[in-house]
Amino acid sequence: MKQVAITGGKGGTGKSTVAILLANKLIKKDKIVLLCDCDVECPNDYLLIGEKLKKPVRKVFAEFPKLNKNKCQKCGLCSKTCQSNAIFQAPGKYPVFIKDLCSACGACWAVCPYSAITPKKEEVGKIYLNKLKATTQSSKLFYLITGVAKPGLEETGPVVIQVKEFALDFARKIKADYLLFDTAAGIHCPVISALLGCDFAYAVTEPTPMGAYDLNLILDLCKKLKIPAKVIINQADLGDKKEIKKIARKHETRIVKEIPYSKEIVDAYSQGRLNKL
Amino acid sequence: MAKILITSNDSDLNSSVSAVFGRCPYFLIVDEKGKLEKAIPNTGVQAVRGAGIAAAQTVVSQGATVVITGNVGPNAFAVLQQSGVKLYNGVGMTAKEALESFKENKLTEITTSAGRFGGRGAGQGPGRGMGGGMGGGRRV
Repeated sequence: MKQVAITGGKGGTGKSTVAILLANKLIKKDKIVLLCDCDVECPNDYLLIGEKLKKPVRKVFAEFPKLNKNKCQKCGLCSKTCQSNAIFQAPGKYPVFIKDLCSACGACWAVCPYSAITPKKEEVGKIYLNKLKATTQSSKLFYLITGVAKPGLEETGPVVIQVKEFALDFARKIKADYLLFDTAAGIHCPVISALLGCDFAYAVTEPTPMGAYDLNLILDLCKKLKIPAKVIINQADLGDKKEIKKIARKHETRIVKEIPYSKEIVDAYSQGRLNKL
Repeated sequence: MAKILITSNDSDLNSSVSAVFGRCPYFLIVDEKGKLEKAIPNTGVQAVRGAGIAAAQTVVSQGATVVITGNVGPNAFAVLQQSGVKLYNGVGMTAKEALESFKENKLTEITTSAGRFGGRGAGQGPGRGMGGGMGGGRRV
């Protein structure tokens, strides 16, 4: 099974669109495909294929610190260790955990010499599964897994990791040939979490200065993560591709596909039937 | 007098009071006698988030019970209130002026948080100068 990320740095370049079109193409070639929407802060693949998120197949939990004041010696080690600035401690006082800033990494209870901090499980997201008939041939199936983070959650990387674990298990179960990960925009933690472990990535961009700038960032990130990345230009005929070509050359990669602006795609997108193309 | 922390834009008492708490460039620590004890560069400027909490941690670690600053975010505001630290607004003054005003009880106490990321992105743009030449022409 090949694991492929569809990413791109800039938002709105058409990552989700390309992910679904790629899934369509592979399904038409008789491949078993599982698409996993890793943009857990605002997943939209299900909307683009006219589906609804009904009952979650699994809940996602994260562990947050809880203080046992009987054991705490106010040593301050937890506060010093926290890389998220989520633990405040005035001298001689008990530490205060600021949940808004906590990334649930677990470092505080790992370092506490008095075992005064214990992890407390909390729901941080949900996983949904949609199974629908693919394209025109009714016998084939389009599988979509969607991760949704709890609104307002600060650090969504751990949610992405758990969604991916679930997707990987499910992909093995259905003997998938391809597992496609549609990532969020950006190059931050949830994107990194989505990219990790992928065999290669498609960086979807657009022929604009912003598209080129963010493409450079995402290709840098892919290089750091040792994931080979190829470039796809969406709406390729609407701007100047010179900068994109320059960035691709700089990163010694290729532009493997140029998708022209197409009313057909826009219509299918807005009508939630992108999977029918 | 209490030990005071002033958020400032530079490292001496002549610098202006920073309007942002968590992401100010410097913390000026003024001792009980009103003397500048030290200037601490704020490493929290670079923090992705939690700069306010890191700054609040500096306040209590330095033993300051009074802070002269501008906008304070909700997280920092909450923990500083809990710690009994008094916050005063010194925006628009130099650190020295703010100190004098504090001694004369003329500073307004900050009683609400500025809201999330209230101060993020604030800064000083380049100054625009106007210069003119003066002088007489050379007499030939």
